[in-house]
Amino acid sequence: MKVWVIATRELRSFFDSLMAYIMLVAFLGFSGFFTWLYGSDIFFVRQASLQVFFSIAYWTLFFFIPALTMRLLAEENRTGTIEMLMTKPISDLQVVMGKFSSVMLLIVIALALTIPYYITVASLGPIDHGATITGYVGLLLMSAAYVSIGLFASSISNNQIIAFLLALLISIFFHIIFDVLSYSVTGGIGSIFSYLSISTHFDSISRGVIDSKDIIYFLSITFLSLVATEAVLTRRNAV
Amino acid sequence: MKNKRRITLQLLMILGVVILINIVSDRFFVRVDLTQDQRYTLSDATRNILRDLKQPVTVSAYFTSDLPPQYINLRREFTDLLVEYGNLSRGMVVFEMIDPNDEETEMAAMQAGVQPVIVNVRERDQVKQQKAYMGAVVRMGDRKEAIPLIQSDAAMEYSLSTSIKKISIVDKPLIGVVQGHGQPPLSSLQQALSGLLVLNNVEEVNFYDTIEDISRFQSLMIIGPTDSIPSLHFSLLDSYLAGGGNLLVALNRVSADFNTLQGFAVETGLENWLMDKGVIVEGRFIVDANCGTVGVTQQTGAFQYTTNIRFPYLPLINDFADHPITKGLSNIVLQFASPILYTGDTLVRFEPIAFTSEKSDARSVPLMFDIQKQWTDRDFTRSKLAVAATLQGPISGNLPSRMVVFGDADFAVASDPRQNLQRENVSLLVNAVDWLSDDTGLVELRTKGPKARPLDEVEDGRKLFLKLLNFLLPIILIIIYGVYRIIRNRNIRMKRMEDVYV
Repeated sequence: MKVWVIATRELRSFFDSLMAYIMLVAFLGFSGFFTWLYGSDIFFVRQASLQVFFSIAYWTLFFFIPALTMRLLAEENRTGTIEMLMTKPISDLQVVMGKFSSVMLLIVIALALTIPYYITVASLGPIDHGATITGYVGLLLMSAAYVSIGLFASSISNNQIIAFLLALLISIFFHIIFDVLSYSVTGGIGSIFSYLSISTHFDSISRGVIDSKDIIYFLSITFLSLVATEAVLTRRNAV
Repeated sequence: MKNKRRITLQLLMILGVVILINIVSDRFFVRVDLTQDQRYTLSDATRNILRDLKQPVTVSAYFTSDLPPQYINLRREFTDLLVEYGNLSRGMVVFEMIDPNDEETEMAAMQAGVQPVIVNVRERDQVKQQKAYMGAVVRMGDRKEAIPLIQSDAAMEYSLSTSIKKISIVDKPLIGVVQGHGQPPLSSLQQALSGLLVLNNVEEVNFYDTIEDISRFQSLMIIGPTDSIPSLHFSLLDSYLAGGGNLLVALNRVSADFNTLQGFAVETGLENWLMDKGVIVEGRFIVDANCGTVGVTQQTGAFQYTTNIRFPYLPLINDFADHPITKGLSNIVLQFASPILYTGDTLVRFEPIAFTSEKSDARSVPLMFDIQKQWTDRDFTRSKLAVAATLQGPISGNLPSRMVVFGDADFAVASDPRQNLQRENVSLLVNAVDWLSDDTGLVELRTKGPKARPLDEVEDGRKLFLKLLNFLLPIILIIIYGVYRIIRNRNIRMKRMEDVYV
């Protein structure tokens, strides 16, 4: 309940500032532009599939999520409101989960606004509904991982810009570097890099297969980052 | 109050547990295939092949171990598949993984038919090329079949299941490919032959050489004759069908000369023989709004460039009947096809199995091709013209027999040995022969894999509307909500101020 109160409060504050609108318009603008108007858009590819959108959202979310999370704890650290928050009868974990949920809700809203894409493509051809749903599931799982990383970065800094850059730096390993390394290294180490790369797991899910190892991978990153964030908050009061 | 050291220790312990869970989950996992056609799940065809195994099958997989992860993943994918084959066959499929890292094992792999491939490997800041083995040999008794290169997903299952099927069939039926009337040589049917040879033996039949006993063939194929066929040969075909034989006819009733840009009818006598059976392959060109493109070289000043222009004489076929021959097919390309009609009696069951789109038509010959023509909806007044059909029943004589007729002969024929035909085109021909031979066990497997899911034809105006609607609608919704929220917040503020004033 307390988590929900924090989440909705944060979400309201997103919508009361320009932040949510800028992010949503930018995300939908980018995604819509490349899905419908330019490049390998849906009418150019001429296939009843949302793969075009998924591959664009894969990149747009990577850049936008750190911008959404940078403020969450860094701002509270800077203004000192975090101390006030800690005096309330709520646990550190509830604070972390509340903030995490607020950004996830915003991402769900952003993805829900792309449902017209799905309806349009489904009306124009025999879309694979299963693969489309898993594509959305893949985007949500990936977002959860990046939101938790962003939240962790925000917890260890009181400067929003540093939090943004730090989140991007950590995410870039999972998004690009591990993938590139996996192609450069042979044997078992190469396999470890390949496993750590988000693209390996996102590609596996977005083709239409829900695999327990992909789910566990995404949940592991999310869980570890959230636990680390909580630990950062707890350490403030530790001796 | 917690101790900082304790927090760090707890964090490290959690990290260790999570890493352990990931290692375990990488080995033991559950998979749910949500794709509509279940393309990442083993097909019923594979299950049937494994269930029917009478003797043990040994698979020797040759995989080089020290490779980049995409190849290591392939090795693991193949191992997982073999484990699943072993379970489904109740232990009849056993396997061994061999790393050809010395001369002896390399030689064994090559002798078995697994050839090395060259892969790029990055080592010490340099990209070097390395020899790698990624193949397998399937053995049953003294028979063996090599898979020279293993590919991922559906191709992996197809190659493994067909290899097992190939070595487990005892008496393969014989298929005859009729030659001698200007038909394309067997070498141009190479891609179809590799599919046909899994379940059948294939031989050429030339009616001119000897009047041989053609009743030994399970099915005959007549593909694209261009010369006139003597009436004696039709009598042979009649008696073959009367004896319960099966026949595949792929006929070019029309042809095009690109030098003169003319289209004309082809007459071999086969069309009249078919007409006697009630099957009319019209001597007309099908045109379809859903079509392929041709590259046209244009000159503007000193510049020469090639543009792809849609050419309705190359119909794309996406509409198929629910029939074993067309199961799983989604996209066939035909070249200068003709429509098929049936006027025969009802004793023979005529079933069209592939159709043109809603916007199609048939043009009479002779005609001149106008590459630059601007096609409009008025050019396509007919719809759903049959381009392939099956016949079952007493086609000739009293015994039941089967026949498949195609209104185009080039769809599975390579004009050049290096030409790579569209996979589904080849599958259509091979599926048809399997159906004639009454063995459609591999049809499902052959057409497995990512399907083309073409968008419907949309007029330019509607297309622009849909593009702008999808681009702008979500953004406008967000802006409307933002404006609503600003107004609401201002009203609340105003109300509060009023309260203070009062």
